[in-house]
Amino acid sequence: MIPAMTEATTSPAPNQPRLPGDLAIWIFILAEMLVFAVFFTAYAFARAKDPALFNECQMTLDRNAGAINTLLLVTGSWFVVLAVQAAHRDDKAVIARHVALGMLCGAGFLGVKVVEYAAKFGAGISLSTNTFYMFYISLTFFHFMHVILGMVILSVIWNQARKGAYGRENCHGLESGAAYWHMVDLLWIILFPLVYVMR
Amino acid sequence: MSGEFTKSMARNIFYGGTVFFFLLFLALSFDTHSQLPKRDMRDNIDAKVTEGKKLWEVNNCIGCHTLLGEGAYFAPELGNVVVRYGEEGTKAFIQARPKEGIPGRRSMPQFNFDDAQLDAIVAFLKHVNSVNAANWPPNDQG
Amino acid sequence: MQFKSQAVAKPYFIAAIGLFVGQILFGLILGAQYVLGDFLFPEIPFNVARMVHTNLLIVWLLFGFMGGAYYMIPEEAETELASPKLALAMFWIFLVAGALTIVGYLTVPYATLAELTGNNIIETMGREFLEQPLPTKLGIVVVALAFLFNITLTVLKGKKTAIAIVLLIGLWGLAVFFLFAFYNPVNIVIDKFFWWWTVHLWVEGVWELILGSFLAFVLIKTTGVDREVIEKWLYVIVTLTLITGIIGTGHHYYWIGTPEYWQWWGSIFSALEPIPFFAMTVFAFTMVNRRRREHPNKVAVLWALGTGVMAFLGAGVWGFLHTLSPVNFYTHGTQITAAHGHMAFYGAYVMVVLMMISYAMPIMRGRAANDQKSQVLEMWSFWLMTVAIVFITLFLTAAGILQVWLQRASDTPIPFMAAQEKIALFYWMREWTGVIFLVGLLLYIISFFVGKGEKAA
Repeated sequence: MIPAMTEATTSPAPNQPRLPGDLAIWIFILAEMLVFAVFFTAYAFARAKDPALFNECQMTLDRNAGAINTLLLVTGSWFVVLAVQAAHRDDKAVIARHVALGMLCGAGFLGVKVVEYAAKFGAGISLSTNTFYMFYISLTFFHFMHVILGMVILSVIWNQARKGAYGRENCHGLESGAAYWHMVDLLWIILFPLVYVMR
Repeated sequence: MSGEFTKSMARNIFYGGTVFFFLLFLALSFDTHSQLPKRDMRDNIDAKVTEGKKLWEVNNCIGCHTLLGEGAYFAPELGNVVVRYGEEGTKAFIQARPKEGIPGRRSMPQFNFDDAQLDAIVAFLKHVNSVNAANWPPNDQG
Repeated sequence: MQFKSQAVAKPYFIAAIGLFVGQILFGLILGAQYVLGDFLFPEIPFNVARMVHTNLLIVWLLFGFMGGAYYMIPEEAETELASPKLALAMFWIFLVAGALTIVGYLTVPYATLAELTGNNIIETMGREFLEQPLPTKLGIVVVALAFLFNITLTVLKGKKTAIAIVLLIGLWGLAVFFLFAFYNPVNIVIDKFFWWWTVHLWVEGVWELILGSFLAFVLIKTTGVDREVIEKWLYVIVTLTLITGIIGTGHHYYWIGTPEYWQWWGSIFSALEPIPFFAMTVFAFTMVNRRRREHPNKVAVLWALGTGVMAFLGAGVWGFLHTLSPVNFYTHGTQITAAHGHMAFYGAYVMVVLMMISYAMPIMRGRAANDQKSQVLEMWSFWLMTVAIVFITLFLTAAGILQVWLQRASDTPIPFMAAQEKIALFYWMREWTGVIFLVGLLLYIISFFVGKGEKAA
């Protein structure tokens, strides 16, 4: 038994749960999710105070665009998962390609969102129009900026991956970036039904 | 559960997070400035209001009073003083301050303003009162 | 002392303490004027005394920051300061400019001072905390630039530790955001909007980086905990500070004519502002608990822990108390704000500067720590000042709650002055507690002159 125990202390057992990515990114993710959680709660309170206004304005949102965007982000997340799995297999050649596909999905999201914003802003809607649009623009724009930040992170990772920086022994940065990208996806999956769909 | 925690990652997040939230703040500030013309009554700012603001500043009124709730908390809010005292009442109050103060009470200095200066100060205070401050203060007492 | 040039910090610290005494004396005058309205009128009206009180605070904290930086940076960068001579020259310029400004406030009517000092060229005076005449404001810029040049150069030629980098960002931010002090548009809403870019982004932004950096430095020195550990937590804490604090500026944009969405944005982000302060408290206590050695300077550690707790209480808890817009609608511009201001400034910035002085002064005087007698006295001063500020805050909070009720929330609101008279009891209690604070401060000064300091550095 003793040799086994010493071995366990020198290299962690493979079945021991391991936090993928850096603790620092997880603290950041937690902080970000907390901000969103407070934002979502504020939305719920505001909605409860004036459901009629919220219902009416929700009808004006483009749910198809929202649904397409949901699909895009989930697909993007899937590609990033593939990239991480490739790194774990040490299949270095395909990592960069999967990350690039993930970014492509992100870019698609931004494109759809820009079209949606153009329609809304074109109709003269702004943060000051009413409480619903205040939340709609605030939440989606806050999230929009997160998608951009996620893309910046992915582009750094893509660049590293092309240099062959990631593999089974070194996937720390890749996992950290992937965790952040999944958060962006997760937040949209809450945001979309909350703001676009739920009555 | 084990995990890595590296200084370089913490540093990158510090830089990235700071830039991110500062840009967001700039975006909101930009929107604010596009909305302000609807709220700050800038078209009414004339030479008199300008003069009044200067008099407000060079006599350090903010050192005792609040204006839209900002300043010292020693003397009453003046953002709505024209509602509370009226324009003439406000002028009369400023003019009537005794030079040596009021025994035992918080005293406002006698600034010896002439009529034109009093007009300017009241014009400025009236302008501040006209700003859309989201229904603040809660009542006329300020 | 590892580097000779660290000694330039000494005059900065001495000046800081001297100005601190002045600040407290004027605080007592203000407190007396709250209850004996015409005290010292018309010689020193309230607005003049308040200007002296707040400006002395800012100036002595700046002296403390600069002194702290001059002490810390050579040790972090592991090289002598780029120019100790420049640092000394700037010390005298800043001290003389500061003294002249205060003399100007006290001897000349403010309007005349404005006239004499060229306020007509660029009108910047007469705004809260930024009352300084134009030459003084320009002087601050010159001193700040020379100071930044000096320490930046030092870091560039030496080691670039995380602690030094965070400090540099904090200090550069301080200088950059001060530039908004020169922008004073006629439009009162825009004026107020950017006024906060100096005031808020200082105290709830870049100053917190300075605070975090000083705290991390003293914790490394006194606990012997790995630099790697302390520095990565420093990064995490300052990240939390800025992601909540920058948009947290919005809690000042509720009632000054800015769009109403700030009520949501400001409330949401500033509701999270206590988190970094809490993290800082946990950080300080954890590092002290994990200490690898017993540093002889116990009182410096006490200040370090104290600043963690009091910054959290003053800035975090008392800030949160009135930061949500529905609450702030009633509390805005009342004694609640004053209560928060007092404890936050003391907890975050006064204590961290005193911590730095407490750690560095004995070393500059040739010993690792002061002897037992001196340290005990300094601990007494710590507790007297800290307990006094807690009670000042409690009394002002009570006064504020009553003020809100009497003047704003009740069905029959009464005028401002009528409400003030009804709450005078709390102002009396605040004033006497202020006297206790002064006693604490005097003990603090006496602690420098007792004992022999037998422990060699």
